[in-house]
Amino acid sequence: MLPDILTKCRQYLPTDAHTEVRVQKNRSCRVTLLSGNLTANAKSETSGVSARVYKGGVYGFSSMAECSEDAARAVLKAADENAHFMDRRVGRGKGALPTIQDGYLPLKSDISDPEQKLYADFAREIDAYIVEKYPNLASRAVIATADSLEKMLLTNDGMSGHTILPRSYMYVFLNSETTAGTPIEMFEAFGTSGTFDQNFTDPAALYGKIDALYERLMKKREGVYADAGKKTCILSGGLAGMLAHEAVGHTVEADLVLGGSVAGPNLGKVVASEKVNLTDFAHTAFGEEVPLPVYLDDEGTPAVDAPIIKDGVLVGYMNSRETAQHFGMQPTGNARAWAFSDEPLIRMRNTAIHPGTDKLEDMIASVEDGYYLIDTNNGQADTTGEFMFGVTCGYEIKNGKLGRAILDTTISGVAFEMLKTVDMVSDTVAWQSSGFCGKKQPMGVGLGGPAIRCEMMIGGR
Amino acid sequence: MHNLNEIAAKTLAALKENGAEKAACTARFTETHEFNVDGGEFSLFRTLFDNNLSMTAICEKKKGSVGINRFDDEAIAKAASDCAAIAASGAPDEAWDFADGTAHAPTTDGCPEADLDRFFDRTRELMDDIKQRHPKILMEQMIVTHKNIHCVYMNSKGVSFDTTEGYYAIDLMFSAHEGDKASSFFGTGVITDSLDTRFIDLGSIETDLADVEKQLDPVPLTGKFTGTALFPAGSLGSILYSVVGNFASDMTILDGTSPWKDKLGTAVADPRLTVSLNPSDSRVVCGDRYTADGFVAEDYDLIKDGVLQSFMLSLYVSNKTGIARAKNSSGSMIVKPGDTALADIIAGIERGIIVGRFSGGDPGTGGDFSGVAKNSFLIENGKITCALSETMISGNIGDLLKNIRAISKETVADGSTVLPAIAFDGVTVSGQ
Repeated sequence: MLPDILTKCRQYLPTDAHTEVRVQKNRSCRVTLLSGNLTANAKSETSGVSARVYKGGVYGFSSMAECSEDAARAVLKAADENAHFMDRRVGRGKGALPTIQDGYLPLKSDISDPEQKLYADFAREIDAYIVEKYPNLASRAVIATADSLEKMLLTNDGMSGHTILPRSYMYVFLNSETTAGTPIEMFEAFGTSGTFDQNFTDPAALYGKIDALYERLMKKREGVYADAGKKTCILSGGLAGMLAHEAVGHTVEADLVLGGSVAGPNLGKVVASEKVNLTDFAHTAFGEEVPLPVYLDDEGTPAVDAPIIKDGVLVGYMNSRETAQHFGMQPTGNARAWAFSDEPLIRMRNTAIHPGTDKLEDMIASVEDGYYLIDTNNGQADTTGEFMFGVTCGYEIKNGKLGRAILDTTISGVAFEMLKTVDMVSDTVAWQSSGFCGKKQPMGVGLGGPAIRCEMMIGGR
Repeated sequence: MHNLNEIAAKTLAALKENGAEKAACTARFTETHEFNVDGGEFSLFRTLFDNNLSMTAICEKKKGSVGINRFDDEAIAKAASDCAAIAASGAPDEAWDFADGTAHAPTTDGCPEADLDRFFDRTRELMDDIKQRHPKILMEQMIVTHKNIHCVYMNSKGVSFDTTEGYYAIDLMFSAHEGDKASSFFGTGVITDSLDTRFIDLGSIETDLADVEKQLDPVPLTGKFTGTALFPAGSLGSILYSVVGNFASDMTILDGTSPWKDKLGTAVADPRLTVSLNPSDSRVVCGDRYTADGFVAEDYDLIKDGVLQSFMLSLYVSNKTGIARAKNSSGSMIVKPGDTALADIIAGIERGIIVGRFSGGDPGTGGDFSGVAKNSFLIENGKITCALSETMISGNIGDLLKNIRAISKETVADGSTVLPAIAFDGVTVSGQ
């Protein structure tokens, strides 16, 4: 656990400018078995202290790779000097940030740091299962991975606290060839928040999921290229979650709104069908803790949900303290930093479309000629809301029934147009949390959604 | 100041004490100064002091790696012990190894010392130039950075490198706005070791700003055609790095999924295409001095006159497969220019598209790709007729290299790469 160097630092905080001091430790480890070869077997641990000072509308920031009282004082001094440099050179002349709730959020519980052997042994057992049961694969990869962020935060006008957020995953990649000899791949990530020893106690618990993955790969061997053009599609919960994150979530990050995103002129307007509700959840959704719960952000704001779309109307943004002041909104606790040396940025937490009342089987049965799209390996979006996702698993729907698998393709659209075509929403939400969102810094995020029926562009060949 | 040579030597000794028969480590200290602009306004000034110590041990032919950011004796001792334990959890593999060699003299590249006042002035000048020359541009985010990096690599086979480098990096993310109209965002950037030139005149910054201003009224493409896709230097890199990742990288050669796995010495591209990895090129700022395995970095051709000359393999995969390792592990990609002016290439295209940015998933293992052509323009009868929206392109990255229509004689040097524009035939372009 991090040493408590911050309690004694309170006396050094300036009284005339919002200031944060953060001590942080990031841990990660990774074991990669590529067709049985142990190509990666590594762990890393970085820690240090940073400070950020707000002065006249600009921030000064500094960090040092050392967890000590001396280092905390040094970065406070450097951050203050940087803030004054910017204030002197830029002179935006803004006043102080509005005050927020103060207090202290104590650590709920410490986490374990499993030995690397646990990861390696688990990966080997999974690999052995695959190679024994499915010897005809062209290749395979098994990856065991985990990361955690421990933070101690001290602020002079907000909440302070101590938090830890661990997560751990097993990735399985299976490769084969189509009947025409084209290489194909199918992968899935298993896991959620929690340490590896909490999430993975028995390799056999994954065998059924790997069997299902293999079945999808075999169907893909007979796959066909999708017919390019605008189609009626059922997006799985996973893809709907990607849509919530990439195509909507980024455009409503308030710093990107200030940068000219499409959400700016659309606040208060209809941007989706009335069946669509979307929220960036802080720590609890639909009665359960979300995959990557956030209770306190790195500016000292207690994390609360950020409602984005309500009954099809754009109702809000995700804010930092500074952007909340600009837009006249309440800060939601979205300002988060990845490493001790990173400044807080507006980041999503657990962004999800709310469930509806439809059954997935009824949704599929309702499509005469379209696609059921299940898995994605990539998603990107524009501040205009134009998005694209790579689709790695999907099926034709003909006359209400699932047909042939399709080969890798891409779907695209413009979020606030495409969401208006949503006319069915399933009753079950699927969450994902294994990936990293990229925005200057990486960040672990949760994303989720129910299956939705919509119209969108699909690429062919 | 940290004595990185002493830290590296201590680390190697600690790894040996923990049973490593071979070991390597890198000790790095980085000082960063960074100015940020958000939403068109200066927002942040950062100063960072970062340590990094990475170490690899090979014990009984098993490999383990650890990374930490502390240099004190206690931390080094614990990390070395962890590293040996991680190696013990692995499986023996004869292929793990490091370079043999000698200690190399210290080197200094670029501009290790930052001139912060002048750097800030150049940055503000860039903001002013953009406002004056490109008033429709809104800077979503600009990050300008100076880094001073001192690095010592040392291994147990006698190799050591001691490098110091410094450079300025300018990264811009912007879009055009006029009333309610907005373009897609676009990113561009350069690295440089000199503050003698206005930033707007570096790389393709000026051209990129002008192009994005022309994208305020994009038109969705109707229908589908097979035609020419022209990739300017800014988007060509992503295509070529996809080719490398899918067809020439460690992973796809080791697992045998690369379609090029048996193609060394044979034609894989149009004979006009030569792709080199040249960290010593004078247009590359602070190019790599050594490889990840401890070899001196040497320039090499990946593809020469269309013929595959090398894969981008590490020493490990080289030992596993018997195929020669890459002579450097940099991304300093240099593509030989052609002999046709970019304007003449466009004038010769009957129907095609200029792909300013490709937004798509990674190509499949076979090289098939599809994605959105962002910041793109339609070419009809040799003329650029309109900006496009909601337009997808698809094809196969391996086929692209064989279907080159033309390579421009103009190149863009951004401090990391030197690339021309290339027009590829046979690309599927589809709209609504």
